[in-house]
Amino acid sequence: MSKLSFRARALDAAKPLPVYRNKDLPDLNDCVSINRAVPQMPTGMEKEEELEHHLQRAISAQSVFREKKEHMVIPVPEAESNITYYDRLYKGELKVPKQLMHIQPLGLDNEEADYDMDSEDETLLNRLNRKMEIKPLQFETMVDRLEKASTNQLVSLPEAKVLLNEDDYLLKSVYDYWVRKKKNCRGPSLIPLIKLEKRDGSTNSDAYVAFRRRTEKMQTRKNRKNDEASYEKMLKLRREFSRTVTILEMIKRREKAKRELLHLTLEVVEKRYQLGDFTGEVLSEVTVPLAEKPAYIAPVSLANGMRHKTELKIKTYKAGLPYYTSVKEELPFDFVRPKKKYTKRDKLNPPRRPGRPPSLYTVNKADIKQYDFHSSGEEDFPAPLSPPSEPDEENDPDGVFAFRRKAGCQYLSPCAELNPGPLWEHPELAGLDALRHRHSLTALCVPRRFVGLARRRMGRGGRVVLDRASSGTDAVLRQLDPEVVTQPGATDSPAPLQRGPGQRCAPSTSLSEILDNIQALRWRCFRPRPSQDHNQASKTSRLSTDCRLAARLSACPRNGIGGITEEQYQDHQQQLAQMQKQQLAQTSTAPVKHSSQPELKVTQTTCSNDCTSKTLDSASAHFAASAVVSAPPQGHVNNENKPHKPSVNGVLHPPGTTRPPHPTTTPSTSTTSMGGGGGGSGTTTTTSTSHSGGPRGLGRSSSSTTSSSLQSLPNARSHVSAVSPANSHHSARPSAPSPSALKLATAASALGRVPKVPPASTGGTLPRENHEPERLNGISETTVAMEVT
Amino acid sequence: MADSAASVEIVEGCRLPVLRKNQENEDEWPLAEILSVKDIAGRKLYYVHYIDFNKRLDEWVTPDRLDVKKLQFPKKEAKTPTKNGLPGSRPGSPEREGVRAAPAPQDGQAGSVPGRAASQSGESFSWLWRSVLTLLSSPQNGTARRLIPSQPGRKRKANCGGGDEDSQDSSDGVPTAPRMTGSLVSDRSHDDIVTRMKNIDCIELGRHRLKPWYFSPYPQELTALPILYLCEFCLKYLKSLKCLQRHLTKCNLRHPPGNEIYRKGTISFFEIDGRKNKTYSQNLCLLAKCFLDHKTLYYDTDPFLFYVMTEYDAKGFHIVGYFSKEKESTEDYNVACILTLPPYQRRGYGKLLIEFSYELSKVEGKTGTPEKPLSDLGLLSYRSYWSQTILEILMELKPDNGERPQITINEISELTSVKKEDVISTLQYLNLINYYKGQYILTLSEDIVEGHERAMHKRHLRIDPKCLHFTPKDWSKRGKW
Repeated sequence: MSKLSFRARALDAAKPLPVYRNKDLPDLNDCVSINRAVPQMPTGMEKEEELEHHLQRAISAQSVFREKKEHMVIPVPEAESNITYYDRLYKGELKVPKQLMHIQPLGLDNEEADYDMDSEDETLLNRLNRKMEIKPLQFETMVDRLEKASTNQLVSLPEAKVLLNEDDYLLKSVYDYWVRKKKNCRGPSLIPLIKLEKRDGSTNSDAYVAFRRRTEKMQTRKNRKNDEASYEKMLKLRREFSRTVTILEMIKRREKAKRELLHLTLEVVEKRYQLGDFTGEVLSEVTVPLAEKPAYIAPVSLANGMRHKTELKIKTYKAGLPYYTSVKEELPFDFVRPKKKYTKRDKLNPPRRPGRPPSLYTVNKADIKQYDFHSSGEEDFPAPLSPPSEPDEENDPDGVFAFRRKAGCQYLSPCAELNPGPLWEHPELAGLDALRHRHSLTALCVPRRFVGLARRRMGRGGRVVLDRASSGTDAVLRQLDPEVVTQPGATDSPAPLQRGPGQRCAPSTSLSEILDNIQALRWRCFRPRPSQDHNQASKTSRLSTDCRLAARLSACPRNGIGGITEEQYQDHQQQLAQMQKQQLAQTSTAPVKHSSQPELKVTQTTCSNDCTSKTLDSASAHFAASAVVSAPPQGHVNNENKPHKPSVNGVLHPPGTTRPPHPTTTPSTSTTSMGGGGGGSGTTTTTSTSHSGGPRGLGRSSSSTTSSSLQSLPNARSHVSAVSPANSHHSARPSAPSPSALKLATAASALGRVPKVPPASTGGTLPRENHEPERLNGISETTVAMEVT
Repeated sequence: MADSAASVEIVEGCRLPVLRKNQENEDEWPLAEILSVKDIAGRKLYYVHYIDFNKRLDEWVTPDRLDVKKLQFPKKEAKTPTKNGLPGSRPGSPEREGVRAAPAPQDGQAGSVPGRAASQSGESFSWLWRSVLTLLSSPQNGTARRLIPSQPGRKRKANCGGGDEDSQDSSDGVPTAPRMTGSLVSDRSHDDIVTRMKNIDCIELGRHRLKPWYFSPYPQELTALPILYLCEFCLKYLKSLKCLQRHLTKCNLRHPPGNEIYRKGTISFFEIDGRKNKTYSQNLCLLAKCFLDHKTLYYDTDPFLFYVMTEYDAKGFHIVGYFSKEKESTEDYNVACILTLPPYQRRGYGKLLIEFSYELSKVEGKTGTPEKPLSDLGLLSYRSYWSQTILEILMELKPDNGERPQITINEISELTSVKKEDVISTLQYLNLINYYKGQYILTLSEDIVEGHERAMHKRHLRIDPKCLHFTPKDWSKRGKW
């Protein structure tokens, strides 16, 4: 065979190779040269290293001796294995289990601190241990957390406090020590860590950066998509969890507060029992002074305004103080019943307030539901928009949104854009004017005197509450005899209740000026009517209303007289007594005449400033009284006309509010009329329904007054807003404008406040609908009937 | 000598004979290159690399061990950047390094910057590029001290571009990251003076004190310590004995944190997933890097499995060595890195590790080969293992029906899971393949047989396949490694 032939034949891995021992091949030497037919395989080493001295020596030694020679091995740096303290270092022994060891992947990361104390730390620890006990592990955990929380910037001390939650002294010591140590530390962290790559690629060739991520390989399209989705899900989950935590936290607080309340109540009851205070006298005595401020101050902080109802909130402010008086009485803990009614009612009248902007929100009362969120589910309670009424409000007139919420009230947001004319948004109305917009001059029958500016609203069970405000005119007014303010034209109407819309007059301080204002109908004035008509009134009211409750609400008996029933009357006795008591106390400085008419104990009188001191005739007094009681639930007559312009103050009373509306609500309902121009029209139109507490009033035409009042009957108790009486006599003869109305209208127009209201309309000849378009922006609202006395 | 050393300034790049003891404890004066100079308390120390010796023998020497009389300054004619464009960057082999002409600076290769001679000769381009270099090679990891003006080219500029190989791939000269697969680099373009020098003096691991052989990227602040302490079981690095003591109160590991898949006698193997147990995998890699020159820690450990061999005693399962393995290898690698820790070397553990790796391949039904490049010790170990494995098979072949026993290379490969190429190279290395009477034959010489029998007699540590409890996973079917 020639060399050529066998050279061409490559080594075939699949071809069997016979195995010979050398001794079997005597002629093997002939073949040796053939070996090069097989290409030399690379060793797999780096070329240069392959040539290194020791390796070559070892290889050659091996090929010569076929085994390693001791002195021919490749030398390596030495290693010692004689650590003497090994046994002390690695304590304990391990018994090997029979089975193979298995480890749970999840258990790999132990939660122990990664930081390990060094001897320097030990010194500190020994020092600290003289004062307090600190374990090495505790120390390590602290440092570990500090380290891990620090990024480029060190954790600050306050942060550290949150982070570590340790005793202050210990924390400070460890923190200071850590900061010092950190500064002296050569590495970036006290826990030595492998340098990490930076995204910008600056570390691409840093020898100390290791274990870079293999980004490219991980980013398959599918994975990325999934990652994104799951990442978002995780984010969402996290958000929801943290929200849950917050809610639970709040619930915890609530429950704590409830428990505390319970304990306190229990305590009170026990104490009362010990005192023998079975009638509650002591309690009320004690409560009155106590309740004043806290009752108002406390509510401020909570945004949702949910608060426990204080059992008896009676707020009386000294007459001299620049606050109005609020007299309020509520039955303790009776919210449950009304609430039921409330919801029921809701179902009955689902589409309330069609004209309400969707933005309105409701804060449900809810002494229990302190943490109600403004969930849409609760918004179907058409809550009255409550204007700010807290004492502080006067000091902070521009705080449109700064009103305080009150338990038991529902609030709707002011609709400024729709109703551009809330009074307090007009700077020129600030101060006395603003006060007047929201309050009427009010006179009492017993004692017979003016109590100054006040507004009425319906308390629980139809009681009338007077919220008093003080103004510079108080002293003057107090000298005023309500009888003086009799309206000349009022004689026509049995119960002349007149409303004076004239707002813009300069602040009047003198008696005569005030009288002028009242007579010019610029100031509203309320005076109870005499009692003679009482029976009649109640009769008429029964006509229009089916039930007793309805009677209270009845806005618009055809006769025009809001009725008052015996029961209602009785209901009020208690409250009236209380009020009188308070008023007496307050007005000690001013000489007061007490009228002895028993029926007129309920006296809510809105007075406009311009009332001259004419005496209230009995008829009008009675009307006033009945009006108070019978205020229809439709608090916003005005609203009817302006579906899109919610009551002036932006406060709507829900028909079904279980509680008396917050005093703040009154402006919109009762006295709202203040809107100068609006007042004029209001008087004429109000005839039908003075107030509708119910939202139904909104957007409804005035014609439906009766029906609306009927509808609201179920809520009788809730006719919260119905502070002002229905001006029924107007409706009785719509075509015959009362002189007072005319007067009012002219006055108003003269003032330019009611530019759009033509005199004719004010005359009341036109049905209310006609006026609607002409109403002034929210200000005029007030359909609340008022008698100008 | 010290006198003369003081008179002449010995700078980086100089070559001169340096005294060292050989294995017979005799004095030798091998030629060495000065890689670095440091001054400790007024006394100079020189980091020397012995030419033609492995880097692991590099060391800091005192001036009195330098034979200054035979000092050679850096070569001026070295217009020949080495393979990496960096003259003399390969330990002690400038002469051997390619004779390629220096790539012109214009072609934008920062990495191919001027050899030191070029720069010294004041070649304009070189100077230009040197200034670029100086800008780029700011104060990185103590390399600054190598940035003496006379030798700008000495600086390995990993940070300003790869060597020729890189620039061939990416003409823009942007440094390219190492390939994503595998665990070893043969491309030394990322090598710089930092990685050429050992940075850890001593490692204490369990009962042992190890002198590292190569650079390892432990946190830089720990490299100044005289001793770096490792927890024997979790391999966490600690700066002091006190810290280790504290750590041991918290670390309850007594074996590598993985599943034990093999145990016979005191020898156990633990399988650790580089993705699931990153901390341990990284710690293991850092330790291994101290003894593996070509190992790269550039990328994370996710695509690897680590098989840690331990020896059991009452204290626990002590790590003896390990090998890593890609979960999916495109090149039939069944081992990425493999290491027997120095205290256990030359006692058969390396072969045991290799044997185990092939046992795994047998279970997988694949043939495999270790990732390249092999180190010197790796080559010797593998050759030894292959030789013994193949000879074992050949010796046991019995005549079949009176005919001469025969076997194909493929059969050997299948029996042993050793890749075909490795079988052939081993047969060649042992000089077993001969051409006889028109066909290839395998011949077993007597000294081979004797040598084999002697070796097998000494080889008492063997893997018992029956003790292996291993189910291979099909990693390709998983989304991630």
